[in-house]
Amino acid sequence: MYTWIWRHLPGATWARAAQSFALFLVVVALLFFVVFPWAEPYLPFDQVQVG
Amino acid sequence: MTTDQVATTSPSPPRGPGGFRDEPIRTTIRGLGQLFITLGVVLLLFVVYEVYVTDIFGAQKQAQAKESMAQRWATSTPATSDPPAVPTTEEDSGAVVAPPSDAQVVDPAERTRTYDTQIGQGFANLNIPVFGADYGFTVVEGTTAEDLYGNPGHYDDTQYPGELGNFAVAGHRVSKGAPFNALGTLNSCDAIVIETQQEWFVYRVLPMPEEAAGWNAAARPGCADVAPLTGAYSGVVGREIVDPSDYAQVLPIPHVDASGPEAVAAASQRLITLTTCHPQFSDRERMIIHGVLTRTYAKADGFVPAELSEVG
Repeated sequence: MYTWIWRHLPGATWARAAQSFALFLVVVALLFFVVFPWAEPYLPFDQVQVG
Repeated sequence: MTTDQVATTSPSPPRGPGGFRDEPIRTTIRGLGQLFITLGVVLLLFVVYEVYVTDIFGAQKQAQAKESMAQRWATSTPATSDPPAVPTTEEDSGAVVAPPSDAQVVDPAERTRTYDTQIGQGFANLNIPVFGADYGFTVVEGTTAEDLYGNPGHYDDTQYPGELGNFAVAGHRVSKGAPFNALGTLNSCDAIVIETQQEWFVYRVLPMPEEAAGWNAAARPGCADVAPLTGAYSGVVGREIVDPSDYAQVLPIPHVDASGPEAVAAASQRLITLTTCHPQFSDRERMIIHGVLTRTYAKADGFVPAELSEVG
């Protein structure tokens, strides 16, 4: 998967590295702002109320 | 993880022009390996998110709640028409002199609630002096996940600060600002100070189960006003670990399964109840802290309750 991405990024090595890093940041942002907030209520350490 | 790396470290057979297409097994194994590494990184990122990122979001939400409550307090004059029990005469002379502590003590029975609450909006400040002078959270109305993100939240069907019955508040112990992170370290007689627009309410944690039998009211300063509860309240102690379904903990008389106006009328104590998850990092059970109202002060310019400086 990563090899495939690397081979399909355009430009020199440093440009590919920069694009890879940008892609990584995008994925992290997606996880932090979309995926994790969505998943949180289903995990067993978020409830503090009684009843 | 680049192609170069693999090509130089493994004695591979000659590759065709299609790259790895000639080696399906190797490609599959590599793909699996990358998948597992990715999952591991995602899990680590989730830990970072829970431990750090939600705290940042929570602190922002708490700052907003605090700010908006301060503005409302500054602009709104309470609906009540009766003057405070002790008018501050010093105001006329220009210089604000803090009145003596005893002069501000009022009977909670004579105080009526002068504010309305809205879900998600702050209406009181919660201070626990033993957690440090900088420990203070604005309590919002409601206990949905949204209300509790960054804030302690008031169970909206329980009573309000200073009232007969039970003022019950939930809060996160881990992540999202974790207002109740240190509830496990509270001792009996520790002060929980609630500030509303008009009053200061000083609650103190009830005797712990192991202390109740041979209760020594002189054990610590502050214990003088605290005693094990009896009658309908017997068994209500400073800290309990209970099942998540134990809603009676926040009813007017904890452990008595009755709610509504009749239950409030039957209540003879003014309690505070804090709930959070237990054990830490899990929510299998709940930790419950019960406290009893020991003193009520009317607010006045320059006056701060002495209990606030009981730093542990």
